[in-house]
Amino acid sequence: MNTFEYSAEKSSGAVYERISAFRISICVPLIAICSVFFAGCHTGTGDGGNKEPGYKTTIAFHPGEEAKIVEAFLSVKDSTCFLLEEGLYKFDNLSIAQVSHIRIKGEGYDKTVLDFSMQTQGGEGIRITNVNGFEIGGLTIRDSKGDLLKISKCRDVIIAGLHAVWKTADSTSGGYAIYPVMCRNVLIDSCYAEGSSDAGIYVGQTDSAIVRNCRAAKNVAGCEIENTSHAKVYGNEFYDNTAGFLIFDLPALSKRGGFVKAFDNYFHDNNTRNFAKSGSFGTSWGVGNASPGSGMIILAASNLDIYQNRIVNNNSCSITIASGLSVDDKALEKIGENYFPIPRNISIHDNTLQMGGAFPAAAYEHHIGKILVGIEQKLNAQDPGRKNKRIPEIMYDGVSTNLLNHGTAANPDSICIRQTGGNVFVNADFLNVANPKKWHPTTEWKAFDCQ
Amino acid sequence: MRKTCFFVGIVAGLIVISVLAMQGCNDGGAKSGGPGSTGLAGGGFVFKEKLSEYGFFVNKLSDLQPAPGVLPYELVTPLFTDYAVKDRFIVLPAGQTIRYTAQGVLDFPDSTILVKNFAYRNPSNQKILIETRLLVKDPQDKRWEVMDYLWKEDQSDAIRHITGARIPITLLDDRGDRISTIYQVPNTNDCKRCHINNDVLTPIGPKARNLNFVRARAETGPGRGGVNREDTGFNQLVIWAKQGRLSGLPAIGQVERLPGWKDSLHFSVGQRARAYLDVNCAHCHTRGGDAYNTGLFLEYQQTDPEHIGILKAPVSAGGGAGGLNYDIIPGDATHSILAYRMNSTEPGTAMPELARTVIHQEAVALIRNWIDQLPRKRPLKKLQQKEQ
Repeated sequence: MNTFEYSAEKSSGAVYERISAFRISICVPLIAICSVFFAGCHTGTGDGGNKEPGYKTTIAFHPGEEAKIVEAFLSVKDSTCFLLEEGLYKFDNLSIAQVSHIRIKGEGYDKTVLDFSMQTQGGEGIRITNVNGFEIGGLTIRDSKGDLLKISKCRDVIIAGLHAVWKTADSTSGGYAIYPVMCRNVLIDSCYAEGSSDAGIYVGQTDSAIVRNCRAAKNVAGCEIENTSHAKVYGNEFYDNTAGFLIFDLPALSKRGGFVKAFDNYFHDNNTRNFAKSGSFGTSWGVGNASPGSGMIILAASNLDIYQNRIVNNNSCSITIASGLSVDDKALEKIGENYFPIPRNISIHDNTLQMGGAFPAAAYEHHIGKILVGIEQKLNAQDPGRKNKRIPEIMYDGVSTNLLNHGTAANPDSICIRQTGGNVFVNADFLNVANPKKWHPTTEWKAFDCQ
Repeated sequence: MRKTCFFVGIVAGLIVISVLAMQGCNDGGAKSGGPGSTGLAGGGFVFKEKLSEYGFFVNKLSDLQPAPGVLPYELVTPLFTDYAVKDRFIVLPAGQTIRYTAQGVLDFPDSTILVKNFAYRNPSNQKILIETRLLVKDPQDKRWEVMDYLWKEDQSDAIRHITGARIPITLLDDRGDRISTIYQVPNTNDCKRCHINNDVLTPIGPKARNLNFVRARAETGPGRGGVNREDTGFNQLVIWAKQGRLSGLPAIGQVERLPGWKDSLHFSVGQRARAYLDVNCAHCHTRGGDAYNTGLFLEYQQTDPEHIGILKAPVSAGGGAGGLNYDIIPGDATHSILAYRMNSTEPGTAMPELARTVIHQEAVALIRNWIDQLPRKRPLKKLQQKEQ
């Protein structure tokens, strides 16, 4: 955890250095410079000392200038950097669309705070669309009604040193805190997300993404990579969520995910209740399916490499591998160019996997949690030799492509696991879970063991 | 440190400061889209400061009487905006014609201006103008540009306005009931949000199929009340073709016709519901639209049941889905997210996300009715238009 604090400090420190230089230069008693700065126009096109290198225009603002900021965002031209000085800003919402090379920069997540609690319309606090070259960081955004930061259809995106939080972590929070979707080349570095009723950090329908050195806590899911290809997730800490980390593919979307690597992460103590909004029907889709106590869940995603992570104290299951059929009995009908519900080519190796002694209380109230509890009970009833061990660390739902081609191979989909320990794997036989007489989960895993 | 600097600055020369500051503001204004800026370098269309400067209307501006050459038009199924009363006009450059296109928006000549006025009926049943939106096809780069004009309270003129506004109003809905709300005037990015497809800004309404009907207020013909709606001679497109404003129009019977969402005499509940969803949702809920990422595509011509939302789980709705499982459950509107979100005004839940702060009761009833009568069996078979 200290490592992460350090990197966050470091990035805000760098910002701070530049700000100090900026202060010194503006206090050179040049009236012109001072006046331009204090008049609140802050054109800063080169002579004010507050120019951000690499940007044609730099515009600085301070709290109280929210109306000007809204207008400046709406009329922004290519190659502009917005500097938001220390303090609390209040907005309904902000947006930037159809420009190139834009940066929004604060003086540090603990200094520059943007509050969206007065949001009255729309789906998010900040909305960035069709921008090529977008960077945001060094600030905190908080308490929107919808998502906090949505970045849609953008290229070359950097989100660094950004904190995105809801003070109340319940179903009234927006869905995603940090939400790039349908983008290309996204870097999310040293960010923190808290309180989302869906995923704190969510990368959707994107090609080429990196999530690193981030933290996420008190969300339903800490981080989710969904229908996103060529993603790398490393050096992160996701804790105190319902589920730590998800890799999902869903049907009927613009692209398929896969080719995701997750390594050197620390997913721990994700045992909180699933507070995704539920109605009379319950919640059986998306993140609502995440059982409390899940370290990491793979749903309908393929070509994944999961290694050298510490996945500790997630007390319902360290790693779940599930097909689309586990949540949607029409999943096979939805197979297409962008969707294949059965996970293939999954490599899980050299992770540290540990679970606590019992399921979290919240798991007993969750529809998937109940199944996990049932699996543990069934295994121990089938084999007294287990001596009431916990459910194994890795739960595979057992739905394979055998279902499509009537095959009989033990492991037709290259689920490859290289982990040590005596309680590593269960094939949970999900297809028969509703039929107690036929249901036979098994810990036999020779075919899946890639030692 | 900054305070000292500020102090020194003031003492040293208040006049110099204010002059320079104003200079700074002017620079900022020009760069950030002040008067005269259209987002174009070196020419192109220039938006005027006041609506009156364009000369679209004759006599009293707020009466919206079109000047010669300004074409009023209506849509058979319009977008809902808080029961707003809308007046729409096409301003064609002299001597130019619109070219007919079977699919999508008509092909307008360069320098065309589309004018859309938004008003509400107040409790005294007076029409109060709120905003006028312009879409202009810039002759220089052939791209459409947006601008909004906010009406003054005294209704004397409307002033260029880019940041959006929230205006408390009390309006009369279609049943004559009073509703108090805070009307949301969109900012320029809000405009783009609905009007952009694949990064290209485009008009939404004036498609041949949505113009293909006889207007109640046809500007030629027997006048109000006397129009025979079945007589295609009074059809909007036919009239324009006769006037030489529209070229390439095939025989009117061959032109696709979008159902009127209220026209239960000629169209089924399914056709009317799909027409409503097309006009109110499909500018975003289409490939390349703002809601491309959702996979929910509500164009009238869409036949894939998954894309229409039939037993489709939401993707990124979060709490907005109300904990419901599917966009549409055939036969069960109460548990269908589509109807749930149309029936909400809460940000994050309400759909459409923009331009609606009150519930369109009549539309919710139509959509619920449609969902409730969808067959529960074999819902994943392709939806045929005739089945709707």
